[in-house]
Amino acid sequence: MNLLKAIGECVLFIREGTSVLMRHGVHRHEVFNQIWRVTSQSLPTTAVAGFFVGAVMTVQFTLQVKAYGALGYLGGLSTSGTVRQVGPLLIAFMLSGKVGAFTAAELGTMRVTEQIDAIRCLGANPFQEIIIPRVLAIIASSFALLSAGLLMSIFGGLLLAKVFAGINADEYLRHIPTLISWPSIALGLFKCLVFAVVLATICTFKGYNASGGARGVGRAVVETAVSTMVALVVADWGTSLLADALLVLLSSMIGRTA
Amino acid sequence: MTTSSTALAIDFQNVVKRFGERTVLKGINLEVKRGEILFILGTSGTGKSVLLKTLVGLLRADEGNILIEGKDVAHLSEEDYLPIRRHCGMVFQHPALFDSMTVGQNIAFGLMKHERKTYEQALPRVRECLELVGLSGVEDRNANEISYGMQKRVSLARTLAVGPRILLFDEPTTGLDPITTRQINNLIRDLSRRLQTTALVVSHDMECALEIADRIIVLSEGQIVEQGDVEHILKSKVPLVVDFLAEAKASRGDA
Repeated sequence: MNLLKAIGECVLFIREGTSVLMRHGVHRHEVFNQIWRVTSQSLPTTAVAGFFVGAVMTVQFTLQVKAYGALGYLGGLSTSGTVRQVGPLLIAFMLSGKVGAFTAAELGTMRVTEQIDAIRCLGANPFQEIIIPRVLAIIASSFALLSAGLLMSIFGGLLLAKVFAGINADEYLRHIPTLISWPSIALGLFKCLVFAVVLATICTFKGYNASGGARGVGRAVVETAVSTMVALVVADWGTSLLADALLVLLSSMIGRTA
Repeated sequence: MTTSSTALAIDFQNVVKRFGERTVLKGINLEVKRGEILFILGTSGTGKSVLLKTLVGLLRADEGNILIEGKDVAHLSEEDYLPIRRHCGMVFQHPALFDSMTVGQNIAFGLMKHERKTYEQALPRVRECLELVGLSGVEDRNANEISYGMQKRVSLARTLAVGPRILLFDEPTTGLDPITTRQINNLIRDLSRRLQTTALVVSHDMECALEIADRIIVLSEGQIVEQGDVEHILKSKVPLVVDFLAEAKASRGDA
């Protein structure tokens, strides 16, 4: 019952935000400020994590492709896995740990110290002033961080491929364009968008609705962390399922045309 | 006795507010004249702050009407309430300053929003408002770097900047030392008189109410149990008022 109530309130929150965005637009300056803040906060962690993801993927694939004598495909396989699956999820987890918790705590503190009420009392709309810029910034930053994470993962993979499998850079990079199809890139970007929307909605919703002083802010942060993790895994499953269904549909359509 | 609606700044008509099963305001009827300084006294949890918040639309009344300068606002949408709040400024119990901004940016916030001014264009008004609250020259300091008493005054300056006709104070002196308390109370009186604004002050401070209020109402369990001018309150036999008066007398004696 509580879960249904929370989902209902979250839907109303999204509706209100969308309606304000449509009617009043957004303060671009504030969105850019927030993008800069989110990106600069998360870039170092994402870069380090991206590097090691690339390294781990390469080590894992080395054992498998070596058995088939297909070491040349190592770069393509590990990068493809990162683009389709690991990259977007990794970025979302990184952001939920840093930006999600930070945003929930910041908005929660603004709520319990009556700063949000003060915005309303000054005749301004809190959605336009503080919620929408943060949501848009988290979404935009996700794509920027995904790109940075991917580049670092390729670099990490490349380095480890040289050390563990003795593959040089040219060989590692050669099959990346052939093994990463446009549908893979589209799926990666779509997942990135869905995860960012999920994270941005949950952290702003929990922070905006915090109550009960410092304890309430703490609760909002914990609930953001837990809800985001669960929602991201569910969203990952949902987007993968949707992508598979779309691929089957496309294949059958192409087969029929042929 | 009903005052002519044009002379009224605020008119609560049988206002009821509930939180779940609990009824916090039980049919409040209250008229506030233009330019009046009204103190709302009562013990904690009697609905004083809720009364202010329903007036300014932060909380919505479940029953009854609320008229601000003759206009019924109780049933307005959030969107339609925004311009009303500009003329009905509220100073919160906490200073509620935007802590990522400077003092000047806090005060300019409403001006930049409503009058589409840049910060530089709003600066003369910012300085004027800081002078009104006795804090000249602090506009470039960060809001969280100044003392709590100064934050309260900046909060008042931020509310004054947009030129409200009605000022609402939610326990403006809570957490302040006696000297700052006196300064804030004097500010409320002087500014209300000088700017000819109507002021509603939620407080526990009977001593201060007796000193500067035109009229005092006493709330208990969501109902008005006593109201009148200072002379009337001093003669009241209502037990809660008698307790408040005794407390005020004792604190005067201590001083």
